[in-house]
Amino acid sequence: MANNIQHYIDELHQHRIWRSVFRSGSGDSNLHRAQAVQSNVFLHLFAVKSRRRMLEFSATWYLGALTFGTFLVLVITGILLMLYYHPSVPQAYADMKDLQFVVSSGVFLRNLHRWSAHAMVFLVFAHMFKVFYRGAYRPPREFNWVIGVVLLLITLLLSYTGYLLPWDQLAYWAVTVGSNIASAVPLLGQKIRFMMLGGNSVNANALLRFYVLHCMVLPLTAIFLMAIHFWRIRKDGGLYAPDKPAKEGTK
Amino acid sequence: MNGLRSLWNKFFGNSSRAFGSMSVILLLSLAIAPAKDFFSEWRHAQKNYVKLIRTRADAVTLERHVEPGLQQIWHPELGVVDRCTTCHLGLKEASLSNVTQQPFAKHPPIPHSLTQFGCVICHRGQGTATTEREAHHSTDSWEEPLLPANYIEASCGQCHLSPLRGTPTLNEGRRLLASEGCARCHNIKLADGSVVVPTDDPPELNHIADKTTREWIFAWVKNPQAYAASSTMPNFGFSDDDARDISAFLVAQSTKGPYPARTVKAASSDPNTVQQGASLYGQSFCASCHATQNAAGNLVGGDFGPELTRVGSKLKPEWLESWIRDPATYDPETRMPHFRLDDKQVGLISNYLQSKTDSDLLANVHLEPATQKQAEHGRALVLEYGCASCHQINGVKKPENFAPDLSRIGSKPFAQLAFPAGVEHTLPNYLTSKISKPRAFGAGLKMPKFALTTPQVDALATALLSLTSRANALPASLRIATQHESHYQPAGKAGQLISDLRCFSCHAFNGRGGTMAPDLSWEGSSVQREWLVDFLKNPNTLRPALIRRMPKFNLTGAEINTLTDYILTVYQNPAFDRDEIAPSSLTPQLAEQGKQLYYSKYSCQSCHMIDAQKDKGYIGPVLSQAGLRLTPAWTYQWLRNPQALRPGTIEPNQHMDDADAKALTAYLMTLKLRAKQGGN
Repeated sequence: MANNIQHYIDELHQHRIWRSVFRSGSGDSNLHRAQAVQSNVFLHLFAVKSRRRMLEFSATWYLGALTFGTFLVLVITGILLMLYYHPSVPQAYADMKDLQFVVSSGVFLRNLHRWSAHAMVFLVFAHMFKVFYRGAYRPPREFNWVIGVVLLLITLLLSYTGYLLPWDQLAYWAVTVGSNIASAVPLLGQKIRFMMLGGNSVNANALLRFYVLHCMVLPLTAIFLMAIHFWRIRKDGGLYAPDKPAKEGTK
Repeated sequence: MNGLRSLWNKFFGNSSRAFGSMSVILLLSLAIAPAKDFFSEWRHAQKNYVKLIRTRADAVTLERHVEPGLQQIWHPELGVVDRCTTCHLGLKEASLSNVTQQPFAKHPPIPHSLTQFGCVICHRGQGTATTEREAHHSTDSWEEPLLPANYIEASCGQCHLSPLRGTPTLNEGRRLLASEGCARCHNIKLADGSVVVPTDDPPELNHIADKTTREWIFAWVKNPQAYAASSTMPNFGFSDDDARDISAFLVAQSTKGPYPARTVKAASSDPNTVQQGASLYGQSFCASCHATQNAAGNLVGGDFGPELTRVGSKLKPEWLESWIRDPATYDPETRMPHFRLDDKQVGLISNYLQSKTDSDLLANVHLEPATQKQAEHGRALVLEYGCASCHQINGVKKPENFAPDLSRIGSKPFAQLAFPAGVEHTLPNYLTSKISKPRAFGAGLKMPKFALTTPQVDALATALLSLTSRANALPASLRIATQHESHYQPAGKAGQLISDLRCFSCHAFNGRGGTMAPDLSWEGSSVQREWLVDFLKNPNTLRPALIRRMPKFNLTGAEINTLTDYILTVYQNPAFDRDEIAPSSLTPQLAEQGKQLYYSKYSCQSCHMIDAQKDKGYIGPVLSQAGLRLTPAWTYQWLRNPQALRPGTIEPNQHMDDADAKALTAYLMTLKLRAKQGGN
C-alpha cells in the first residue's frame, strides 16, 4: 500500500506537466535542493541553507514570520470584506450594518480583520525591538533595517486608512483629527491635508482616497517591500546569529 | 499527574502531533462563527412562530404566508432598511389579533400599508439589526432609540404637518406650542419651512401703570396662577425682592396711554346696579370669550380672552371704562371687538367687573415706594428673563434667538442632552421633565414653569418629538403641508367695520380668521337679506347646544346696511347663483312632498329642530326659520352636497337626487317662524 502510494507520487513527479512547472526535478542531494529553491519564484527569496539553530523558537521568536502570517490573514479577510463594501458615503455604514447583521460570519470576518491588524502592529514593533536589541541592524544588514522602518510606516498607514472605512463617528473624527495634525506641518500643512482628504473636510473624496490607499496602494507597496526584505535576508548572509553563543544560552 | 503527561505526549508529543492537534483546535474554533450564525436569535424566533401557528385553526393559510430566512423592507429613497419583519412575523395576520406573545402579535390597524414606509420611520430603533437588543435597546449608541408607544403620534407629524383626525394628542400638542407662547422664545420651524406662529395674546406693558397697580403686578409676577388659574403666563419663580424690583421697573417705564382722560364715578356696591351690569354682561355674550369661576370653583365661559374671576382686584376703573368703550385705542392689535356701548352701559359693565374682587390676593402685599436702584435691577431682570419676547415694554427690544431652536429637537442625540438626577435617559423623558420642571435642570436656567397638566405636557412632548431630522430629509412629495393663513383683508368702509368688530377673531373669510364661529366666505350666497339685517341687530343663536354665541355689538342701522350689502355682494359662491331657484317654482305640493321626505326618508329631525315642543334634534341648527334665513339656491346645493360648500361639515352627504333635494328645499322654505321681536 505504502509502496503503491510512493509509486504514484514518483510517477506524478516524472509527469510532463509536473516537470514543466517544477523543472529541478526531485532528489535528496544538496544540488537538487538548491535547484528547487532557486527555480521557484517564492522560495528563491529565502536562503538556500539555514542553520538549524536559527530555526529554533528562541532565535527569532518567529516574530517576522508571525507578522507575515497576520499580513496574510489581513489580505484574505480584506478581500472577503471588499466583496461586501462600497466606498461611498450613503453605502459604507449601511454595509457595516449588513456585515454585522445579515452576512454569514460577517462579524467574524470583521473582527478577524480588526484583531489581526492590531496584532500585526504589535508584532511589527516586537520584531523591531528584537532586531534592535540583538544588534541585527548592523552592517551588512543596515539597508534591510531601513526597509523594515518603511514597512513599519506602511503598517501604521494601513491601520490609519482602514480606520476611516466603517464611516461611523469614531472613524470620522479620528480622521478629522489625524488630518488636522498633518495640517500642522509648516508651510505645506494645508496642502498636505488637502491632498490627503481630496478636499477641505472628511467627505466622499476622503473616503475614496483612503479606500484606494488601504486596498491597493499600501498593500501592494508592502508586498513589494516585503519581497525585498526577505530576499535581503538571504543576500545579507541569512538570519543574524551572534558570533559567540549567548553566555547563559544553551544553544 | 502521569495521566496528564501521557495525554500531553499523545497530542503534543512531537512536532507533527502538535501540528495536527493545533490544526483540529483551529478548525473547531473557526467553526464557531458559522455555528453562531446558524443558532441565531432570529432563526429561533422563526421556529417559535411556526410552532405557534401550527396550533391554530388556520395553520395552513398562516404557514403559506411564512417565508423562511431574513426578511427586509427596503425603500432606498426613504433610507429604509428594516429587518424587523424577520422576527415580527404575524404583523399582517388578521387572525392573530388575539396573540399577545411578542414578537408575533398583529399590528394594530393604521391608515398606511405596513410595507409602505417600513417600521423605523414611525417606531425608530435600529431597523437593520437582527437581534432584539440591537434593534430595540441600543439606546446609548444608536441615535434614534425606540419611540415609546404613547408618543407614537409624533411620527405621523413628520409628514402630516396640518391637523389629522387620528392624532388628537399631536394636534393638541401643536395647538399648545402656539397657544402657550412657546414659539415666542423658541424658533420652531416645521419640515415644510413654515414657522409656528404664537396664537396667545400677551398684553403690551407700555402703559401698564394706567391699567393696574404696582401691588397687583407684584402678586402677578410672583405667581400668575394665583390670580387666574387659567392664565398662560408662566411662573418664573421670582423671589419677593425680584418681584418688587420688576414691578418697580414696569411702573417706572409706563407712559400715559393714548385715550382721553375721563372722570369715573366711584364704584357702586348697590346689588341692583351690580345685577344690572351682570345681565348686560350676559346679554353682550362676554362669556363667549371670557371665563369666570362659578361658586363651585369651575371655570365657565370661553378661553379666548383672559379669565375675569378676580378682575376687580386688578384693573383701575378709568382704564376699564376706556377699554370697554373701545379696546383698540389702548391696544390696536387686540382681538376684542369694539362693542358699541353707551356711557351708561359701559358704566354698568365696568361696575359689575369691579365687584369681582378677591381680598386675599393683595392682602399681604405692602410695597415701599420704589428706589432708582430697584427699578434698574428690575430692568436687568426683565432683560435677563426675556420678558420682551412676549410683551412690549418701553425701551426694551424684543430679544432675538432668546431660547434654543427647537426645529430638530425630536432627533436630538443623547450626547447633547444634560439630564438632571433621577430622570431616565430618554429623549421623551428629557422633554417632559424639561417642560414640567424646567428649573430642575439647573438653578441658573431661565425657562419658566408653565401651568400645564400631565396630558398637556405629554401632548407637547409628542409635538416636539415630531420635529425630527428625518421629517426634513423625507421626500417633499410625502409631506402634507401646513395650511398657510391668507392675509385677506376686506376693502372699504365695510372692511373697516369688519376690522373694528374683530370679526376675524371668530369667523374665517377666504382662508383667514378664527374657527370658533362659522366660516363666512360664502355667506352672501346662503342667507336672505332681511334675516341678516335682523341677525346683526340682535344676534340669536342658531345652535341651541352651544354656550358660545355671537355677541351683540349694538350696531347702527347704517352700519348694518353697509355690512349686509358687502356680505351679500362679495361673499358669494362662484359655483351657483343665489337667485337661481325662483320662489314661485317651489309649489305647496312640492313642499308637502318634502315634508314627507324630511320626517321619513331622511329623518332630518334626529339632528335638527323645527318645532321646539316636539323635536329633539340638538346637533344641527334649528330650522324653524330656515325659510326666512336661507336662500333656496343655497339650500338646494347644500342638500345635494354639503361638503362641497363647507369641507368637513358634519352634515352627512345623503347623495340626494335632484327631485328629493328640490322637494326638501320647497318644504324648508315654508318654515318662517318669526322670532319674538325686541327680546334678547
